Amino acid sequence: MYKLTVDDLHKKYGTHEVLKGVSLKAKAGDVISIIGSSGSGKSTFLRCINFLEQPCAGAITLNGEAIRTAPDKTGALCVSDARQLQQMRTRLAMVFQHFNLWGHMTVLENIIEAPMHVLGVSRAEAEARARKYLAKVGLPESVEGKYPSHMSGGQQQRVAIARALAMEPEVMLFDEPTSALDPELVGEVLKVMQTLAEEGRTMLVVTHEMGFAREVSNHVMFLHQGRVEEEGHPREVLNQPRSERLQQFLAGSLK
Amino acid sequence: MNEILQQYWQAYLWSDGYHITGVAMTLWLLTASIAIGFVLAVPLAVARVSPNPLIRGPVWFYTYVFRGTPLYIQLLVFYTGIYSIESVRAQPLLDAFFREGINCTLLAFALNTCAYTVEIFAGAIRATPYGEIEAARAYGMSSFTLYRRVILPSALRRALPYYSNEVILMLHSTTLAFTATVPDILKVARDVNSATYASFEAFGIAGALYAVIVFALVWLFRRGEQRWLAFLKPQAH
Repeated sequence: MYKLTVDDLHKKYGTHEVLKGVSLKAKAGDVISIIGSSGSGKSTFLRCINFLEQPCAGAITLNGEAIRTAPDKTGALCVSDARQLQQMRTRLAMVFQHFNLWGHMTVLENIIEAPMHVLGVSRAEAEARARKYLAKVGLPESVEGKYPSHMSGGQQQRVAIARALAMEPEVMLFDEPTSALDPELVGEVLKVMQTLAEEGRTMLVVTHEMGFAREVSNHVMFLHQGRVEEEGHPREVLNQPRSERLQQFLAGSLK
Repeated sequence: MNEILQQYWQAYLWSDGYHITGVAMTLWLLTASIAIGFVLAVPLAVARVSPNPLIRGPVWFYTYVFRGTPLYIQLLVFYTGIYSIESVRAQPLLDAFFREGINCTLLAFALNTCAYTVEIFAGAIRATPYGEIEAARAYGMSSFTLYRRVILPSALRRALPYYSNEVILMLHSTTLAFTATVPDILKVARDVNSATYASFEAFGIAGALYAVIVFALVWLFRRGEQRWLAFLKPQAH
């Protein structure tokens, strides 16, 4: 039984085809790193999974439940049932490259917002979750009343991870979570993600951090020009790349 | 000066013995029109940024008309123009409403400030960081929850400094109310002027009263900004 399957996903911007049939299967506890150069379609792929982007074709199944879709006028797939999509999104928490915390809310408010107003959890329960997950991402209780703009990027991203955890999601989607951080702040975020992986959480991670892909994930997908060029266990894929593309990519990124 | 104050201070502040006048009337005009304008402006601002031209268009037209013509003319149209129409006077309800200067004044003021407020709020809604909207969607919020919890609270806060400006301009605009015989501060000052010929004192007192009200408004909005705009304040680390 797979937690999440994506079948033959296609995505076009106008006539430019960004994804040319990408599939993925994730079992519970899988940590899948999606790597590739800019423009390879890796972020688009991740964003199609929770329909922040509309794919043109393909099927997405979460825990055996298929998302019902129908093509709209432009040929892009639309979700037929907005309720089902909202419900599914609550189980696929996303962490963004630019954190995307709600700026007018404090740290605590950011974390309790979706559990309270989307899941319908009580305030007491939401706050208890928030404190638990703030501790998990290594932030002291004293940050609760701070606004995101008054924190460092690494702290903001850890708050964003706590916000995602507070949804108690089935799968976590990470869209280049360390790309917008200063180099010295990357480590603190990666360490949190490693802890989550060790807890057995199911994670899809679009990343440029080859170290993370190698050490933490149990599966690596290399996307090139909208196709999966190579995938498999990180030791094989990253240590003995077969395709020329991946060899070039790794030579470039490991310098 | 002292004589004028002794004789007219009550009229300047709240009553000439028969009607509400002066500061009380000006504040009533201001708060009523601002309150009506605000309540109408929030949903209209949401409509103003709608991708659907059939929703966006009429709101655009409304704000264009009310921002494109002088308030003085709008007041004249509501006060004298509409009442000169036969069918309005024939309708008892409309007749009762438009006969009263204060009603016409409030209607004109509310619709006018509402038009400006719609544009202020719509601008703030458009400037909401897209990532925050995306995050709200990714966390399963419906469009209604998205507006109620993320877009409007953020936009109204960011609009506060511009909105405070609109409120102060509205206060100054209430001086047009005498056109419709509403006894606001300026009306009292004009009456004092014609009764005493002490123009400098009569209008000087009125000016000072407006300045005091503005001072209070600025103070109130500063308090509001400290409370609701703390998230935008740069902070020393």
